[in-house]
Amino acid sequence: MKETKPQVLAHEYDGICEYDNPTPGWWHLIFVGSVVFAGMYMVFWHFSPLAWSEKDAWKSAQVREYKRIFGAVGDLKNDVPTLIAMKSKPEMMAIAEGMYIGNCAQCHAKDGGGVNGVNLTDNSYKNVKEMTDVFTVITNGAANGAMPSWRALFSENERVLLAAYVSGLRGTTPANPKPPEGNEIAAWPVK
Amino acid sequence: MFGLSTLGMVRKPPRDAGFAASGGGVSGYSGIGVEKFVYDDGIVRKFVMATVLWGVVAMLVGVIVAIQLVAPLAVKWEMGGVRPLAFLDFLTTTSFLSFGRLRPLHTNAAIFAFAGNSIFAGIYYSTQRLCKARMFSDVLSKLHFWGWQGIIVAAALTLPLGITQGKEYAELEWPIDLAIAVVWVGFFGVNFFGTLMRRRERHMYVALWFYIATIATVAVLHVFNSLAIPATLTRSYSVYAGVQDAFMQWWYGHNAVAFFLTTPFLGMMYYFLPKAAERPVYSYRLSIVHFWSLVFLYIWAGPHHLHYTALPAWASSLGMVFSLMLWMPSWGGMINGLLTLRGAWNRVSADPILKFFVVGITFYGMSTFEGPMLSIKSVNALSHYTDWTIAHVHAGALGWNGFMTFGMIYWLLPRLFQTEIWSKKMVAAHFWLGTIGIVLYIIPIYWAGVTQGLMWRAFDETGRLQFPDFVETLTALMPMYWVRIIGGTLFLIGMIMCGINAVMTWKARPRAYVEPVQEAAALTAGYSDDPVPSSRLGANLEIAKEIDAKLIQGWFHRVWERKPLKFTILTIAAVVVASLFEIIPTFLIRSNVPSIASVQPYTPLELVGREIYISEGCYNCHSQMIRPIWAETKRYGEFSKAGEFVYDHPFQWGSRRIGPDLAREGGRQSHDWHVRHLESPQQLIPQSIMPSYAHLLKEDLDFDGVQRHVDVMAMLGVPYGDALKNANSMARAQANEIAQQLSAQGGYEFYVPGGGRIEDVAAAERDGYRLANKKVIALVAYLQRLGQDISKPAPVPATDPAAPGASGVGAVSSRATQK
Repeated sequence: MKETKPQVLAHEYDGICEYDNPTPGWWHLIFVGSVVFAGMYMVFWHFSPLAWSEKDAWKSAQVREYKRIFGAVGDLKNDVPTLIAMKSKPEMMAIAEGMYIGNCAQCHAKDGGGVNGVNLTDNSYKNVKEMTDVFTVITNGAANGAMPSWRALFSENERVLLAAYVSGLRGTTPANPKPPEGNEIAAWPVK
Repeated sequence: MFGLSTLGMVRKPPRDAGFAASGGGVSGYSGIGVEKFVYDDGIVRKFVMATVLWGVVAMLVGVIVAIQLVAPLAVKWEMGGVRPLAFLDFLTTTSFLSFGRLRPLHTNAAIFAFAGNSIFAGIYYSTQRLCKARMFSDVLSKLHFWGWQGIIVAAALTLPLGITQGKEYAELEWPIDLAIAVVWVGFFGVNFFGTLMRRRERHMYVALWFYIATIATVAVLHVFNSLAIPATLTRSYSVYAGVQDAFMQWWYGHNAVAFFLTTPFLGMMYYFLPKAAERPVYSYRLSIVHFWSLVFLYIWAGPHHLHYTALPAWASSLGMVFSLMLWMPSWGGMINGLLTLRGAWNRVSADPILKFFVVGITFYGMSTFEGPMLSIKSVNALSHYTDWTIAHVHAGALGWNGFMTFGMIYWLLPRLFQTEIWSKKMVAAHFWLGTIGIVLYIIPIYWAGVTQGLMWRAFDETGRLQFPDFVETLTALMPMYWVRIIGGTLFLIGMIMCGINAVMTWKARPRAYVEPVQEAAALTAGYSDDPVPSSRLGANLEIAKEIDAKLIQGWFHRVWERKPLKFTILTIAAVVVASLFEIIPTFLIRSNVPSIASVQPYTPLELVGREIYISEGCYNCHSQMIRPIWAETKRYGEFSKAGEFVYDHPFQWGSRRIGPDLAREGGRQSHDWHVRHLESPQQLIPQSIMPSYAHLLKEDLDFDGVQRHVDVMAMLGVPYGDALKNANSMARAQANEIAQQLSAQGGYEFYVPGGGRIEDVAAAERDGYRLANKKVIALVAYLQRLGQDISKPAPVPATDPAAPGASGVGAVSSRATQK
């Protein structure tokens, strides 16, 4: 087969002729291989008990990641000792910083200086009197919805972390601070 | 019938200059019933020139939209106190030139105007010669040509005005959709099949098979994806919603690639490549096998555009495995193209036309390897929503469709205009400019795609997103975007050179074209097919012998090739049967879209806000589909569920994230933030590349028109209760409520052109600057609703469950009371 010269078939169209070359062997091999793979793939993922779904994979990622982040600290409460304890843990604050940059910085600026949200670094607050009020504002929102509620997006643990991070912004020096709004409040408790 | 004279030798078309137009010329046989006829090359000339013209337009708009992605940052550059690129500002502030409106113009122009006219030129030229017949009707040819150009002009006018259906590559509104159906089926289809019926060549050559598949399938795709109910002359609603609409759209979208950008070009390759190379086609057998496998398998693959979305998993898996199976059928075309050049490679190095074909076919091979690869779910998890898709598409569009078109045009020009091509040097230069242009386009954009995909999913060791700020993942791409502009510009310059060459060649045409008279015998009844070959099998079952003799050895197919009607029916059957396997379960099995009780219809105001979202083309940059991938839910919130989209006519899942996903945007920002952000995104996010939508703060909302939209939605089965009668007043009430909240948040109450807030309330009121009456309020209402419903309690069935006002307006007020 391989050595024979291909024949031109006995038809032509507007001067175009065709050889009778066979389809290449490797072509058949890969084509049939892909069909066999397709069958096996469908059977495994949709008809076998060993398969898992994309949602299963996501759930196990959720469990794994929660364990990684909160495994050591367990359930967090919005109280002063917890907030102070979290502030002193750099790895927990790194997590909170990620949440802050992704969700809060658009209004409050990455360094907390404020854009169209309030400045979080000065001593004046509109809806916060005590350290634990930060969590309440994050959870419920404030100022007629100018500050949205984050209850649906973040778990309680995450909101406690975020509150600890935000309270820690107080006293830092941002690049372009907005002028203070609200009333000046007492310094945070130290323990 | 043809005698043995052709055996073993290649018939060469006459090559004497100026007369090559006659193609194959008169056949060697003559006898009873010989008829004389002339090919219609005038229509081909028209389509060729239209191809060139629209090619320049499509690529120019492409370069403009590429510039728009860097312009918002580029205008801010300062050098010695001046901003040298500040003049680009109009590209980000002019409403009808915004990226969201121009990008559909670019894609539609490239596909339907440039590639479309190219297809028609190729088909009209080759079909006449392959059928030994003039086109069925000169009138239909002309109607087809002018009808199609009219459609293109209508597209170019309506898309910048924001008149769109909001489905990718199917944006054109219903009157234009109807025109497309008429021109495609009534003019083009009838003309083509009429020519087949009147052919004087007994058997249909492989190019014609591909044309048949193209015309039949595109008609089916276009009609079924575009089914919509009009609300106004310029606005209609897809009859499908959510998951089903997404499925139909990508069944269409993927097969537009298959049957508009692949099969017709394969047909053209089968005609123009052997003509230009003067070589026989490598394998007739391969052309049979790869044609049928391609036609049958392609149609299943659409769902690979929807991996990890709310589409049911079985559909996504089918999309993947059928894409993998498509690899070899696609490569069958590439093999047949490249191996046809065996023995002619010495000519390839000297002939720019063959060079165009070789590079074009090579890009086809690359793209059809990459396509199956991208359809693998885990690869797609990275590539989806990134520039990787854009690079893939451009490798195909610039490399395959572009270069095949250029090769064909340069081969046709001297034949159509019966003179030497104006500048051969320019053809060679175009080849190199185009090739370098493609490389400079796709390499940075592949790089950009992979970069952004990796940045989105990157976690640091503490388990937080490494790049939580979306805009960081975008500014990282800017250098690549600049290189893309260079590559695209080079490709555009090549296209312009092609245009100059075409026009100058046309100018040198003879005073009157020579129209050689062709002669061929009419087909007569009583044709007897070739004898059935003897089976190669030994003493086996008779049935096996018969299958071998008739089917495996191709005897059957040879019979089909002289029966266009049967051939067409078989092709349509392959396509439709394959489609129904996926469509029927998607629509009929309820578990595919589990309903969510708390998901309610949009309020009238939110619905018109959604209209604005669609009209501005927000879906070109923002997705509304969060995949169940940890990095993604971390960034955007809970993954999207099928039941959340049941009232989305059309769906707005998007395919590219130039901006962040918006599926859970509701409640994430204040009204005030949204209004300021739409006015000028950079005042809140300095690195943002989003254009300004300040016009939405100035333009009045058409409250009186709200009712029509609600009524059409109700016709489509959306349970609107009270809103059926008083959509207008409900919309006004909600707009006022949002406006009040906005001003309580310290936001604008009035918006004066030129910006700023005002002192004289009475004057502002009189001048119509109250924001409560403006489009922006509706858009904010819509954005604030997105993704909210699943976290709400299900409505109490005792009250009117269908009253959308109760849920939607209530949602806003309940948020307001949360303070």
